[in-house]
Amino acid sequence: MSNTTEQLLRQATVSTFEELAFLFLEDECAIPDGDAPLDAIAAVDFHGPMRGRLLIRASSNLLPVIASNMMGEDAAQHRPMQRDALGEIANVVCGNLLPMLAGSEAEFRLDAPQWRADMTDARDGDASITRVRFGVEDGRAQAELFVFTGLAWLAATRPEHATA
Amino acid sequence: MAFNVLIVDDSAVMRAMIGRTLRLSGLPIASILEAPNGEVGLRLLNEEWVDLLLLDVNMPVMNGEEMLRLIRADERTRDLAVIIVSTEGSGTRLAALQAMGAAIVHKPFPPETLRDTILRVTGVTDVEYYGTAAATSDSLDF
Repeated sequence: MSNTTEQLLRQATVSTFEELAFLFLEDECAIPDGDAPLDAIAAVDFHGPMRGRLLIRASSNLLPVIASNMMGEDAAQHRPMQRDALGEIANVVCGNLLPMLAGSEAEFRLDAPQWRADMTDARDGDASITRVRFGVEDGRAQAELFVFTGLAWLAATRPEHATA
Repeated sequence: MAFNVLIVDDSAVMRAMIGRTLRLSGLPIASILEAPNGEVGLRLLNEEWVDLLLLDVNMPVMNGEEMLRLIRADERTRDLAVIIVSTEGSGTRLAALQAMGAAIVHKPFPPETLRDTILRVTGVTDVEYYGTAAATSDSLDF
């Protein structure tokens, strides 16, 4: 994937965190605690001309902050809602990234976000196509794009996003 | 007039977030109903009076496009004010939804965008309900 794809993933992730969760992401190299664990994972699978997965990993200490900023203090007390909040972030990042990547003519279907409590990668043996990392408050966040099928379609229709 | 609002979205987080935005917007809200998909949403529309529908597109059981099509086909609900609140990026799908008379708010959205769109589709003006200075973008403080 090209640098353009990384830029698009960065753009979609930053704007989603800012507008949905009122959190401002910093470049990872600028954060004081670069070792904060990325131990909370939300995944969204997408289907269409390309099939793949968008993962958002975040430090679990950020979950109450994300949920509180999105829904208010009361709703954010509940752990399932905290997880769902990260899932909704993944959903919105994915929904915004795909048309930027594949064009607005392409039609995709997004599965409901899945919460992943372990550190298992998207699929055995698959490497992420592109990944962006950030510092945020007292933790970290990372967005990863996996494309399982459809790279040939992307190369044919949007070569600027498929070339290395 | 106070609005009865129905929020149809499969994400409980997004329903809570939209509801919170509505409550903080300064709009007169009588009730906020919620449904996780179009099928449940249609059932609520049959049971309750709703002035405004905020509708997601990508949902299980019945998606937003199908729900909107059924709403427009029903004499009782064909004129209902509908705002699509979605990440949908397909130009074809968005055009189809707009052709059915829905306004579009793209996620992620600043709260004032949702409020301004509600004011526009309902025909309510700031002046009519809140005075000229009541509902400026700056007043929506989260």
